Amino acid sequence: MLGSSVDAVHAAVAPKPKAFASGASLVWRRQRILWWIFAVNLILAFLGAVGVAHGIADDAGVRLNHSLEARRLVHGFDVSAMAELGALPEDPLRGSSRMFLWPSFLFTVFMLFMTGGILASYYDELQLDAAAFFEACGRYFGRFVRLLVYFAIVLTPLAILASAAGRLYEHVDDRSVSPYAGPLFLAAIAVLTLGLLLCVRLWFDMAEVLAVVGDNRSMHRMLRRSAALLWHNFGSLFWVYFRISVIGWALFGAGLYVWMMVLRPESTTGAFFIAQLMILVWLGTRLWQRASETDWYRQYRVGQYAQLPMPTPNATPAATSEPAGTPEQ
Amino acid sequence: MARRRAANGQKVRTIRNSLALALTSAVLAGSSFAGRGVNSSQATAKSTTAAVSLAKPLSTRVVAYQIEATLIPREHRIKASETLDYKNLTGRPQQTFPFHLYLNAFQPQSTFMTEVRLYGTRGNGPGTPWAPRHFGSITVTKFEVEGQGDLTGKMEFIQPDDHNREDHTVFQVTLPKPIPAGASVVFHMDFEDVMPEVVERTGYTRDFYMVGQWFPKVGVWWKNQWNCHQFHATTEFFADFGTFDVKLTVPQDDFVGAGGDLITSQNHSDGTKTLTFHSEDVHDFSWTASPHYTLVEDSWNGSAGRVAIHLFMSPGNMSSAPRYLRATKGTLSLYDQWVGPYPYDRITIVDPPHGALDAGGMEYPTLITAGTTWWMPKGLRVPEVVVCHEFGHQYWYGMVATNEFEEAWLDEGINSYMEVKIMAALYGRDTSMLDFPFAQEGDAEAQRTSYLEIPAYDPLTRFAWQFFDDESYGGVTYGKTATMLLTLEKMIGEDKMRQAMHEYFMRYRFTHPTGEDFLKTLEDVTGQDLRWYFDQAAYGTNILDYEIADAHSDPVRWYQPVSGGRKPYRSYVTVHREGDFVFPVDVRVKFDDGSSTVEHWDGRDRWVRYTYEQGAQVETAEIDPDQKIVLDRNFFNNSYAVHGDDRATHKLLNIWVFANEWISALIAWIT
Repeated sequence: MLGSSVDAVHAAVAPKPKAFASGASLVWRRQRILWWIFAVNLILAFLGAVGVAHGIADDAGVRLNHSLEARRLVHGFDVSAMAELGALPEDPLRGSSRMFLWPSFLFTVFMLFMTGGILASYYDELQLDAAAFFEACGRYFGRFVRLLVYFAIVLTPLAILASAAGRLYEHVDDRSVSPYAGPLFLAAIAVLTLGLLLCVRLWFDMAEVLAVVGDNRSMHRMLRRSAALLWHNFGSLFWVYFRISVIGWALFGAGLYVWMMVLRPESTTGAFFIAQLMILVWLGTRLWQRASETDWYRQYRVGQYAQLPMPTPNATPAATSEPAGTPEQ
Repeated sequence: MARRRAANGQKVRTIRNSLALALTSAVLAGSSFAGRGVNSSQATAKSTTAAVSLAKPLSTRVVAYQIEATLIPREHRIKASETLDYKNLTGRPQQTFPFHLYLNAFQPQSTFMTEVRLYGTRGNGPGTPWAPRHFGSITVTKFEVEGQGDLTGKMEFIQPDDHNREDHTVFQVTLPKPIPAGASVVFHMDFEDVMPEVVERTGYTRDFYMVGQWFPKVGVWWKNQWNCHQFHATTEFFADFGTFDVKLTVPQDDFVGAGGDLITSQNHSDGTKTLTFHSEDVHDFSWTASPHYTLVEDSWNGSAGRVAIHLFMSPGNMSSAPRYLRATKGTLSLYDQWVGPYPYDRITIVDPPHGALDAGGMEYPTLITAGTTWWMPKGLRVPEVVVCHEFGHQYWYGMVATNEFEEAWLDEGINSYMEVKIMAALYGRDTSMLDFPFAQEGDAEAQRTSYLEIPAYDPLTRFAWQFFDDESYGGVTYGKTATMLLTLEKMIGEDKMRQAMHEYFMRYRFTHPTGEDFLKTLEDVTGQDLRWYFDQAAYGTNILDYEIADAHSDPVRWYQPVSGGRKPYRSYVTVHREGDFVFPVDVRVKFDDGSSTVEHWDGRDRWVRYTYEQGAQVETAEIDPDQKIVLDRNFFNNSYAVHGDDRATHKLLNIWVFANEWISALIAWIT
């Protein structure tokens, strides 16, 4: 196999894949995935909220549904009413905060399980049926758990660096007469950390794509190849990834604005729909990233094959010059 | 009587809001340029108007301090000498005198630090690791008494509160000869301060200095004994009135603000300058210095004359200056109108720089420290509420000089009540703390909420250092006092309450009243016996909490089939006194035909049940429908609607579910 050396050679000559729009199109065409993920997230959060609902609606100390004081919560976001609710010994909110954790944990495991199927579905020209989808989920689950361990290992030095930078920020802020120096430094650290995090995520995302495309079992090899791929195509890949992130945050912010500023405070149904739309968009942009990465790689491979010399009857078999990400034998 | 004092040498970079002051200064500035000042150097000419007659002091002047201090910025030290002329008005000979050395609180084994480690204090949680740069100290190197010689060797540290021998915040000296009643004694002391990096109201940050509680200060003879407590994590201060003449030698580049009138300023060839300040009818003196201040000057005219406003703004915070000024003038006006005249000719407001917010939110006579940031949103009224609160202390602590060690509620609590009233008048009842399109909060609610957190551990009247913890001290001393006074106001009427506050101020300004004096004033003004209320709200820890335990209707002829008609109904409303605080309450019961009735219950028993037999069914029952009893701990159980409305529950659940979903999605990003 030529692996990354072929990537390097062809990166310069192959046309750059354009996966931004095609990724969105893929998410749309495979929208059933999005709806399923959305539904599972909603159900888990809803189950987590059952205890809270019981606490605030029926608890003897609060009985929110029968209290005229609850109007303070209906007609606007009353900070004091929320604080009072939180300060009550009956503690309907705080006591249920543990319910916050397990839905998040279960959803993370669920997404780890789903990733193989999602990527396979996005890479495949034809929509996978349920059996093939879940077969892919199961096949890659163990590998992606290993990848998650690698991810944690990679993040550790990043966290140490961020912590050191935080201490440096305190030093800069302490020493500087200007009140802006510290926050500017902090903003720079935040941007840098966020940028690094995005790069690391992109690196691991591409490793997952390579693993699924080539049905590879060796995750550390996938990480090496993904790193090489990213190294030679960083601009193209990161630009797609970054743009989608920005769109995700912008839409989320717009949703918050509508919720807080446009919607009537009394509108519980409207608030529910806006909130769920925001979550749907948030999940959708993440899938958009995954779809774009997958499609980027498909276009990239096609470009590479197009650059290879046409085989002649006496030529060496093409398999020996297969680009990165082809199935290993 | 008007006073005009010329001063030179104080370099200032000023923004003058008052045209009159600007003209005055321009006229005088020509003769008062400072030696090293080049760019924006300009001298201020102090134009002050004494609001009161100097012929008759406002206070009984027990002490006269003369201090000469030199700031050594490189070492963050202050070297000083102090002469204290103490007038023995105790009515008996005095031989032993205790003194505070507050800065020694910032030592590892002090009582203050032990308490910080136990339960935290302003901005520092329990177990806070204090870096050595936050340690500070004060050392008296010489102690002489006129006519009795050098008594340095006779100084001994005492610990009247906890016998912690490592605590050096109070010392006493027994003189060889007693000072007869009515006579004066003059103490001469040399002392040296090591300033901590800003902590607990005082210290330095870079080249900013906020110097408070920095000199040896004599205790107060009160209730027939010396009152000179150690410095604790939750306590503030207590001192006698008198005069201060203070000479400060600081770098020429520094802008200096102080709790006194600037009398003279003299530049020296070594790059320093000496500023002389004078203050009278006050019980403390503090000052600040920084080369980076921008001085904003303004003035306000009240019933006692003109008050100069000096606002020392730190870099980056200038956008808060108009907010500080509006709050200061508004507060001055309302205090003048509601409580009494502000008799001093100046108020200095110090805006601490970034990293020094621990020096903010503090009061000293005629000098207060505020607090803001360069990014402070307009809807977050931190600069306003801090100025309003700290200025209020000019009345409750500054003039009505209660004992902050023993009855902190009388200054912090009463001041918090006034803060609520003034903030509401200036910024709206429901928007005086937060005013964003999506969230609002009034100061009254904020005070009440702070009390709800930990309402029943301590009475208001507990000595400040004996509270359960810092949170209880804050919630009860500030929040509960404000809330109980707001409830009292609803009981006796706003006019009577205002009249009582005015009367209390006028009776007790420039004295050291107690909680009983406050109660007596209220009773005198209202003509009511209020002890039953104070016994529970101030001296006790009972919780005030009433609830509608039940409200429902039942057909009288319940045994008949529905088709036969079920009217009339027998309706029941049960009111339960959940807490031990007994308070008379009104209960409004509404029926589904639109009629309603109001019951009055004295609240003495544990519960009461009202029964009605009529054609209509009970719809709602509500305790204290006008929400007069803000001391009630739980408003949610004060009412019961027979037909539920689940919108609030849905709203909360929606937020909960959304937050949970979003956090899940964020965490799943790692996969």
